[in-house]
Amino acid sequence: MAYSSRQFIQPHRSSFTRAFSTGLAGLVLSLGLFTASTAQAAGEAVAKAINAIGEFTVFRTDGIQEQLEGKGSLPLYEGDRVTTGRGSQGLMEFTNGIQVALNEDTDFLILSRWESDKGTTRILRLATGEVWVKTMGGPKPLEIETPVATAAVKSTEFALKVQPDGQTTLTVVEGIVEFGTAFGTCPIRTSTISYGNRGKKCTKPAPTNVSPTIAWTQGIRQ
Amino acid sequence: MNPYTKFSTPLLIGLPLLMATNLTGCESMQGVFSPPKPEGLNTRVYSANESSNTVTVMDGDNYQVLGEIDTLNYGPHDLALSRDGKQLWVTNLANGRVTVIDTESRKPVASIYTGTRAHVVALTNNNKHAWVANIADNTISIIDTTIYRILGTIPVGKGPMGIAFSRDGKFAYVSTQDKMVNVIDTTAHQVIKQIPVGPNPHFLTLGPDGRIWGTNTGSNDLYVIDPTTNEIAATIEVGPAPQQIAFALKGTAGPNAYVTVAGLNKIVVVNATSPTLSIREQIDVGEGPNGIWANAVGTRIYVGHTKSNNVMAVDTGTSQVLATLPVGRKPIRVVASR
Repeated sequence: MAYSSRQFIQPHRSSFTRAFSTGLAGLVLSLGLFTASTAQAAGEAVAKAINAIGEFTVFRTDGIQEQLEGKGSLPLYEGDRVTTGRGSQGLMEFTNGIQVALNEDTDFLILSRWESDKGTTRILRLATGEVWVKTMGGPKPLEIETPVATAAVKSTEFALKVQPDGQTTLTVVEGIVEFGTAFGTCPIRTSTISYGNRGKKCTKPAPTNVSPTIAWTQGIRQ
Repeated sequence: MNPYTKFSTPLLIGLPLLMATNLTGCESMQGVFSPPKPEGLNTRVYSANESSNTVTVMDGDNYQVLGEIDTLNYGPHDLALSRDGKQLWVTNLANGRVTVIDTESRKPVASIYTGTRAHVVALTNNNKHAWVANIADNTISIIDTTIYRILGTIPVGKGPMGIAFSRDGKFAYVSTQDKMVNVIDTTAHQVIKQIPVGPNPHFLTLGPDGRIWGTNTGSNDLYVIDPTTNEIAATIEVGPAPQQIAFALKGTAGPNAYVTVAGLNKIVVVNATSPTLSIREQIDVGEGPNGIWANAVGTRIYVGHTKSNNVMAVDTGTSQVLATLPVGRKPIRVVASR
């Protein structure tokens, strides 16, 4: 079985290690100094931020905050929260070749899901804001969760926007995105748009001109 | 129709006739109305051992420990077993993930991050979705039980602690640390009402009477919510720090609510067949009783003890402890196959 080292830390922990880490976790929780997911911060970076315009902040799971200014290479880890401020943008690249651009006022968590038969799926949990996503170099499993919907892709380019009330707008530039709410899933194809609302199935895809939707990414991708 | 009449003693005596009437919908007591299966063959009992990061598997009929499963996460706290018994869902409080265990192979098949301090999990009545309460995020995550994908998040009150679904599945009830039970319309994923209950409301479950039963761990009582009005229908004091509730029979009497009362080291048995609640008896058990579940036919209850690290099997007919099984550290939740 292929485990993500950051999901489970060590799948085959020794009794001592487990007891020690359990005790440590209890201590950490009781002291209230760190979040419970601190242990997940250890390990390899899953992505790096490579460009920022304005305020681009990374909140580590241990409470540390780091910022990227302009072009650079800021490692990103599972559990990190990434935000952009008003009028700001950012660009990041995952180790498996997925590019993600963040528009202004965006806030998301970097997560993952592990399955014994499929391995690890990278997940971005988008609380607010707008992202553009492009997978490169072949199919890459990626999902973006919002408060009311999830977009699952393998090989595609799309943009996703979340309103404060959770309403989610998906615009597919190229490829197919499996877009679903708790009330149903529908495939959204190239040059179409769909909306996800709380308590409803995603809307039927409608043709759209994608160029204006992703125009905001031109600056940050240069 | 009076909802309590179907559980009256005469009806339970006439069990074959009652089964023929095709009554359905009782979560905990479903076996009473199911075609009889030989008791002693396949009751599987699971305990979530919060300080061992494991789940212990037990034979609930022969009282044997069958194995221990590493959840591959930290702080397993709550369990939910699919109706067919094949999937066991485990919340892991410390690192906010849910482990899905294939009960046949006894191995984890998925690990899903839901939120900070993933506390409890409940499967929808059709088992299509798992709802997970994330205490520190004040949210419920909704997971597709086939593809393990999070399909949505519902904001609720502060510190969600317990989840139960109404018999018809139209409402979900979520207890929160702000002394409320939130009523969620499951067709809209919106909180439609908050019912004041008491300090530190914790465990919630659907009773065989169709009402929602909960404990106020911060006080000494349990309460019952009438789902037709979404109001408190009854309360009763049971003792300090009541924890969880299971429903079982004592011979012809019952169903009764068996409540673990941690402050007494007892199971307090409450009459669940009438609108007004009364205590029938108290059963001495081990130190720190918490998790409790009944077998499908309501003749045995299994009680986890967070201080003595064991699970006791109790014969509800005689109220005697039949066996004590050593499990992992701090077994906080117990479930059994239906």
